[in-house]
Amino acid sequence: MRGLAQSYREALARLRVQALLDPDSFSEWVDPAQRVTSPHLAALEAPVSFDDGVIVGQGLLYAHPVILIAQEGQFNGGAVGEVHGAKIRGALLRAVRDKPSAVLLCIDSGGVRLHEANAGLIAISEIMRALFAVQEAGIPVIALIGGTCGAFGGMGIVARLCDVIIISEEGRIGLSGPEVIETVKGVEEFDSRDRALVWRITGGKIRRTLGEATLLVDDDIAAFSAAAGEEVGARPRFFKKRRLTPAISLQTLQAAQQQLSARAELDAEIRDGQVLWSRMGLGDQVSLMSPEQFNRRLEALES
Amino acid sequence: MNALQPIRTWNHEALRRQARLERSTPFSRGKAVAARDMVSLLEALLEPGDRVCLEGNNQKQADFLAESLAACSPQRVHDLHLVQSVLALPAHIELFEKGIARRLDFSFAGPQAHRLARLVQSRSIEIGAIHTYLELFGRYFIDLTPQVCLIAAQAADAEGNLYLGPNTEDTPVIVEATAFKSGIVIAQVNEQLERLPRVDIPASWVDFFVVAPTPNHIEPLFTRDPRHITEIQVLMAMMAIKGIYAEYGVERLNHGIGFDTAAIELLLPTYGESLGLKGKIARYWALNPHPTLIPAIEAGFVERVHSFGSEVGMEAYVAARPDIFFPGADGSLRSNRAFCQTAGLYACDLFIGSTLQIDLEGNSSTATLGRITGFGGAPNMGSDARGRRHASAAWLKAGQEKNGGQTPARGQKLVVQTVETWREPGHPAFVERLDAWQLKQDMGMALPPIMIYGDDVSHIVTEEGMANLLLCRSPEEREQAIRGVAGYTPVGMARDHALVENLRDRGIIRRPADMGIDVRDATRDLLAARSIKDLVRASGGLYQPPKQFRNW
Repeated sequence: MRGLAQSYREALARLRVQALLDPDSFSEWVDPAQRVTSPHLAALEAPVSFDDGVIVGQGLLYAHPVILIAQEGQFNGGAVGEVHGAKIRGALLRAVRDKPSAVLLCIDSGGVRLHEANAGLIAISEIMRALFAVQEAGIPVIALIGGTCGAFGGMGIVARLCDVIIISEEGRIGLSGPEVIETVKGVEEFDSRDRALVWRITGGKIRRTLGEATLLVDDDIAAFSAAAGEEVGARPRFFKKRRLTPAISLQTLQAAQQQLSARAELDAEIRDGQVLWSRMGLGDQVSLMSPEQFNRRLEALES
Repeated sequence: MNALQPIRTWNHEALRRQARLERSTPFSRGKAVAARDMVSLLEALLEPGDRVCLEGNNQKQADFLAESLAACSPQRVHDLHLVQSVLALPAHIELFEKGIARRLDFSFAGPQAHRLARLVQSRSIEIGAIHTYLELFGRYFIDLTPQVCLIAAQAADAEGNLYLGPNTEDTPVIVEATAFKSGIVIAQVNEQLERLPRVDIPASWVDFFVVAPTPNHIEPLFTRDPRHITEIQVLMAMMAIKGIYAEYGVERLNHGIGFDTAAIELLLPTYGESLGLKGKIARYWALNPHPTLIPAIEAGFVERVHSFGSEVGMEAYVAARPDIFFPGADGSLRSNRAFCQTAGLYACDLFIGSTLQIDLEGNSSTATLGRITGFGGAPNMGSDARGRRHASAAWLKAGQEKNGGQTPARGQKLVVQTVETWREPGHPAFVERLDAWQLKQDMGMALPPIMIYGDDVSHIVTEEGMANLLLCRSPEEREQAIRGVAGYTPVGMARDHALVENLRDRGIIRRPADMGIDVRDATRDLLAARSIKDLVRASGGLYQPPKQFRNW
């Protein structure tokens, strides 16, 4: 009786977790029954959430053991506070010990929670450090980005540290959000209400085009699940892909630096995704391409 | 015979028309009028007290002519009587503020509802009546025939033939009434063409045309972004499809405009299909080309659609689906409000729409204090056509239910109101007394502006369930049936629980579970499109949504 696919964007984090993993395979750590909530929000008499806006635990993805972290964008915009951050860090460190096939990081966040800014900022740096430890242990971290909040602020940086980013067209990655840029630099710099512009600059298609995301998928939890399954080697690959972040060495860092410098020079006057797509010969209908059409066109151009 | 008896002239109107045309000669070249001469032409031609139809539709507006009329000198042009379906533009209100117009007979004043109410309170306007569309069109041929009409068309040729484009709306009925009663027809057009794609109004019915400095404004009023459809609306749509469309076998219908009905349109190819209803329900429509109907058309549910007007962005899609819509030989849509309203009244078995307030008799109204909105298409289509004589399964079944199971001499139209019990915090949809009564008193009106009369309503659908008013046998039962689906509003809380349970046992009130609907299934994932982009994709790229609906 399903109409469209089950939307990743519109689902709550708990539904995403359930639908991403093998049925009944998920067990949660620090679950809502334990009511570990934010002391900072309570002090400000702001509403708290029994899971502090993030779900962590372990489960099976196509029978492969994974650790899964899922932010709830509907609670305070998925913002990272002290408890929220500690849960993410703890889950990452647990991966170092337990050696699952991968860590799935479902990012849906505007960044640091302003109510507990210092604790949140520290939490972000702790998450980054823990993430490096996971990678050092040879376990891939796969970011899934397709929620309403995207991956902004500190979580935008964390996203780009991941080995693989699976994103939907509706997903977004950025540092400062459009509203912040408009507030600071004026509407002439960035009209945050021009939804088309926002997506052409921060959305999944342009991020994939720029090589900042690994794979574009439909706004469908099953599509995210299948793509993550391919990454852990549980399913044959549909599209050939490379790791975003190769193992860190002086050489790879220099190569990355070179690539970024070249891009800064080449694309300096490009201020809109559409210009880039036109120059690449993708035409002016990129927004209407299905993810599959888009991935095929892009792979053909890249090879 | 007395030879001194005065001889009566029988062509007084034609002579008056002739005089108007002669006075206009300095300001026109044949039928063509330059935009800069339009005010002078109107001042020369109009006479105080004239009945004027200044074409204002739901969507298409003769905006240049409205501004020209508003720029006329009130010393020369005054006390006009406007007879037009919609009062939508600020210029329409200005006419009354300046004294150019004094009296108004109309149907709908959506965007100007507030200013109109103020004009009434300051006695700057006399309102004849707030009509339904068909009533007003009928009166054009009886006692409200325009002496001058100012209309909007897409294009004219040098002779004055007019092409109306896909948004025909009221134009044919206005021109017919005016041109054939010695009136003057003035058209504003977007462009003058060597050769028109098709002739919708022949030149011999047209006196003057002007190429307006900017194209007439058209609002995309019938586009609902699926992004905003809630899960409650999905649930109510499931109840309507399973509990009404399927049970009565509704094949011919009209939908009001709103997110509630958009949800139904988007559930047909998914939920409707899963119930095996394709080819059995919702085949023939009186409806504007709603973008949200695209998935149902593509899935093969919809077989035919006749339209009142068009919808911005749907032109290419409509042209590519000539089997479904009513195109001209040139391929573009021909619509017609008068005919489509007639179709909705007489040839449809069901109307479903939403409202702002419903009282305990089932009367519903979109009028709220301080605003005179009037009515859209709902009152004609949302009323039982007692003159109807042809039978259909849905019409007969509804008639039988109303008649206590006996086969009646006539059937009954299904008129469904679908509302959430609270339309917003602090504003329940169910009320003991409609604001319309207060408005009647404040505005000194003859009637309260009730949109759909309770005795025409067959079903009320809310998130709490569905009330079948056809099965109610007394006013008390009817009241409890309405309270029984009114949720946690004050009206709903005041229900008689025992009576409501009794009504539920008799199938007069049905909860989702009583219809075999699991409320947990009511998610947005059931919609055939969740965004405007999904609609574009469903149309194969033919639907071109206006900018405000795009995020690309």
